[in-house]
Parts: sequence; C-alpha cells; structure tokens
Amino acid sequence: MASIHIEEVTKRFGAITAVDRMRLDLQEGELIAFLGPSGCGKTTTLRMVAGFERPTAGAIRFGEQDVTNLAPERRNVGMVFQNYALFPHMTVTQNVAYGLQMRAVDASEVTRRVEAMLAKVQLNGLGDRYTRQISGGQQQRTALARALVINPSVLLLDEPLANLDAKLREEMRFYIRELQREFGITTIYVTHDQSEALVLADRIAVMMDGELHQLGAPKEIYERPASARVADFIGLANLIAGQVTSNRDGAVTIASQWGEIAARGGSELGAGKDVLVCVRPEAFTMSEGSGAPGLRREGDFTVVTGQVRELAYLGSIVDYQVEAAGGLSLRVQAVAGEEFPPGSPVELRFPAHKTWVVGSKPVSGNGPSV
Amino acid sequence: MVMLFFFFVLPYANMLYISFLTRAYDEPYYHVATLANYANVLSDGFNWEIIGLTFWFAIVTAAATLALSYPVAYFMARSSSKRKGILLALVLAPLLVGVVVRSYGWMILLSDTGLVNQFLNWMGIGARKLMYNQTGVWIGLIHVYMPFMVISLMNALSDVDPELEKASRSLGASAWTTFWRVVWPLSLPGVAAGTVLVFVLSVSAYVIPSLLGGYNVLTAPLLIVQAVMDLFNWPLGSALAMVLFAVTVGTITLFNRIMSRAMKGIA
Repeated sequence: MASIHIEEVTKRFGAITAVDRMRLDLQEGELIAFLGPSGCGKTTTLRMVAGFERPTAGAIRFGEQDVTNLAPERRNVGMVFQNYALFPHMTVTQNVAYGLQMRAVDASEVTRRVEAMLAKVQLNGLGDRYTRQISGGQQQRTALARALVINPSVLLLDEPLANLDAKLREEMRFYIRELQREFGITTIYVTHDQSEALVLADRIAVMMDGELHQLGAPKEIYERPASARVADFIGLANLIAGQVTSNRDGAVTIASQWGEIAARGGSELGAGKDVLVCVRPEAFTMSEGSGAPGLRREGDFTVVTGQVRELAYLGSIVDYQVEAAGGLSLRVQAVAGEEFPPGSPVELRFPAHKTWVVGSKPVSGNGPSV
Repeated sequence: MVMLFFFFVLPYANMLYISFLTRAYDEPYYHVATLANYANVLSDGFNWEIIGLTFWFAIVTAAATLALSYPVAYFMARSSSKRKGILLALVLAPLLVGVVVRSYGWMILLSDTGLVNQFLNWMGIGARKLMYNQTGVWIGLIHVYMPFMVISLMNALSDVDPELEKASRSLGASAWTTFWRVVWPLSLPGVAAGTVLVFVLSVSAYVIPSLLGGYNVLTAPLLIVQAVMDLFNWPLGSALAMVLFAVTVGTITLFNRIMSRAMKGIA
C-alpha cells in the first residue's frame, strides 16, 4: 500500500498539452475517480502513474519513492485495462499466475495464491479455460484477479466496466468497491461515467482539457460544482444566468432577468459578478399553479410559475419540461405519482440550499443543459 | 477451384503419370509402365545429397529471413496506418521487378569486379568470391523472399494488441521477457505461415540458384531441369520432381504439427 502523489505533472504530445500541471494527492487506501469527457487527460495521467508514459514535467511519487522515471515493471502497480488485455494464449490460471512468476515466487506458492485469488473473485473451476472461452464478466474478474494477486502498491483501473452490459456494470461497481475496501489498496479509477464515479469514489477528480477542475467528495461535486462545466458534466443541471446583488457568508441573492433568486455560493462571488445559477432537476417541488407565469422570491425559496410543455415517464420518476415567462425553460424531475399533463399550469419551488451559484461567464441561452 | 484443377492438379497428375513411363530416345517417353525411374532416383545417393542441400538452403533462408524480417514487421505493425502504408510499399517494391532482373542486378553488384568487390578492394580488405558459389545463392534467396516473410509476420503482429505488452510490463515483466512470453507466442501463426512460404519458395527456386550459383551450386530444381532438358529424360525428371514434392510436403506437415502444438490456445 502506498499513497500516490501527482506533483505538477504536465504531459505534452508535440504541440498538444494532454495534461497541464496536474496536482493531486491520494491517501493510502483511498479510491479516487478521474472523471471527465474523453480527451480530458484522465487516461494519460493514469498511464503516467502506471509508467507507460513519461511526464514532460513534474513528478510522481508512491509514498516516499519517486517513480517518475521508473519502468512500469518496477513500480508494482496492478492495472486493469479497458479491454482487460488478458493474454489470449494463456488459461485463466496462467494469466493470474503471470505476475507472480515474474516475481520469482516459487511454484507451490504461486498455485496456492492463484487458487485463493480465483476463489475470491468466484472463478474457481474456470482456471483451465482460455480467456476467450469465458464471459465478459468473468474476463473482467480475471483481469481484477491478475492485478490484485501480486499485492500491488496501487491499483489502476482504466474504464474497467465500459465493455460490460448495463446490468452487469451496476453489479460490478459494488463488487469492485468491496474488493478495493477489503484489500485497502490505493486506487485510481478512470471513467467517463458520472454515476460510476459517484457510487465508487471516496473523492472525484473532475478533469477537463487536461486540467483538474474540481476535487472533492461525490456529494460535494454534485451539490457544489466548481463551475458551470462541472455542473453540466455531473448529472443534469438547469443553468440560469444572473448577477450577484449581495453575498452574506455564502447566502447569495441573484438578480436574473426574470426576478430575484435565493441561492448559496462561495464567498468569493462579490456583488456585481456575472454568474450562473445551478438548480438540479430534482430540487424542485412541483404543485398545481395559478397566476401569471413568472419568477419570484419568497424568503429562502424561489418560486417559478409556468406551464408543462412536455413530459416523459421514466418509471420511478417523471421528467418535465416546464416553460415559464420570457423563454425561461426548466427541466424538472419529480417522483412519479400525480402527473401534470402538457399544458397544465404548475408552480415550482426550490430552496436556496439546493441552488448553487457558479462563477462563470454567461453561456449562450439559459435553457436546461442536458 | 476450377483454376486450381487446371493449373495445379492436372499438371501434377500428368507428371505423376509420366514418372511411371519408360524412357525413350526418339520421342518423350514410351507408354510402358515401369518403376525404374523411382528405383533410379531413390537408390542414387547423389539425388539425396542434392535434395539435402536444397533443404539446407531453404531452411537457412527461412531462418535468416525470419530473423531479418521480425524487427521490420514489428516496427510496421506498431506504426500509424499512414506510415505502415509507406513502409509496406517499400517492402513490396522489389516484387515489382522480376526475379531474373533482380538476380542480374545482384550479379552486377557481386561479380569479381562488381561494386561490392571494388569497395572491398578500396578498403584494403581484398576481393572475395561472392557469386557463382553458395554465398551468391544465399544472398539472392534471402533478398528475394524476405518480403513474403515481412508480410506474414506483419499481419500476425498487427493482431497482437499493444495493451497486452503493457499488461505484461505492469505485471513485472521486462521488455525482453514480455517479448518472449507474450509477443513471440502470439506471433507464431505468422512465423509458421512465413516460414512455410519462404521454405517452399526456396526449395523450388530455379532462377536464383542457376544465375547466382552459376551451375556450381546444384539444387533439386536445377537437377530436375537438367534431367528433362539436357538428358531429355522426361520420366526421370518427373520422378525426381515427385520425390521432391513428397519430401517437401512431408517436411511441411511435420513442421505444422510441431507448430500447432506450440500454438495451442491461440485462436
């Protein structure tokens, strides 16, 4: 086990900067998800930690050991690849034994540890199969077993669930989390799937354009995104443009073109600053409405009246598109039950503590971002 | 299939038929069945010596092209598709020129007063006999058949996922161990295909041994052509060809059996 320290790491490929002065410390036993759209630099960073790429600048340490220029085979990392990269000419047992053989563990010990590990990932009895003779889920567990059996200092997972079907993916999330806790191993988990990151990670590192945009616990990332882009990438967000009128210790009042909004935000957002107000679709309380469409403040709440334009029934929830005055369009998700058909007037209430202000240049439009 | 029948099965059947006929002097052969040709071929130690030499040439050529082509093929397989295209064109370019022309090209370079020997003289090393002997045949065979090996290997190596090498490294294997434990075994189908191809081509090579060996080096195809053209003994030539064919097929079968054991587990 070891902590991982990524220190001002930059990686350039020719003129392209894939990772820009990335700085991140993982504590021992922690699982951090690198989350971001493709091309954000998360995989490049992982590959630098694994040793497949050398940083252009900066350093990587495992605990006290500087591994920046260490060959991958000397880092003692366990890695699970997106396509698993299982050796096709070897059986499941041979795949799992490979890393131990490279460490010159003696044969009887190899057999014992491989068997124990296969039992742990519920692959007993499949040891003699070639990897193409087992299912995707079994391949994925073989890859995990192969990475874990060597007792690695750190575990690196590169989109490990991307090739599984939806149901299996869901199961494997919890499975990986359990396994990681049990081994207590410091883990980096690369994914572009926000729900995967939210479920699995102790902390999430949101990366965009080669930069670390936000680092925090899943709840923090979701409820208090650092920017409109982060808000937009993690879950669904209604973004409403406005201007700060007052900010008292994070209780922020926003003037928008439709009216005043009560919100929370960072203390750095001074009066006069252009901002975006982020409201999650599930933050609204929806009821039958009356009166002219519009937006007004009622103490620590903001109330919007408008009309349902569309709805989509999603089983446990209903997804609404609500049209308020002046082109303000909001996406609302409510628990299924009483539904409001298109055209019905509704009232939406959202509390200030579920309304988060992000400092940002106004983006074009103000409709919900999906 | 029709092509195969007319251009492969039929000529071979014809040759097989002729190999059982009796030698004649006023016409190609008499239609009298005999086993004398085979008795002749099989009992003459000289024939076996020539077949042995021919196989020796073929085995060494296959081994040498394999060793020379592997790095080239690996580099190509790991190149971007654009660069791969250019390299492939370069590897295949020699095939655009007929083997006779290429052999004459080598003769210009390798002859006693050729470019290579001029250079060796100038260096003070002194001229060497580089053709009309085995050396010339080696050079010719290896050069001419290398593209076939490169292509076979490149196809196989392109199918080896680079992530497998990374996985091996991350598990603690050095680059060298990774090669022997992962890349090499997975490339065996290409190694087998290329080796068989080059072996067969080398066994049956006629132009290169005749031009660069200058009839100082006698290989089986030269012997067969001599029997047919110079001795005008069609049945004997046919019998020789059939024996060469049988021994070659036997060798390849044995080789494939060994290789398929080595490749157990690969798709």
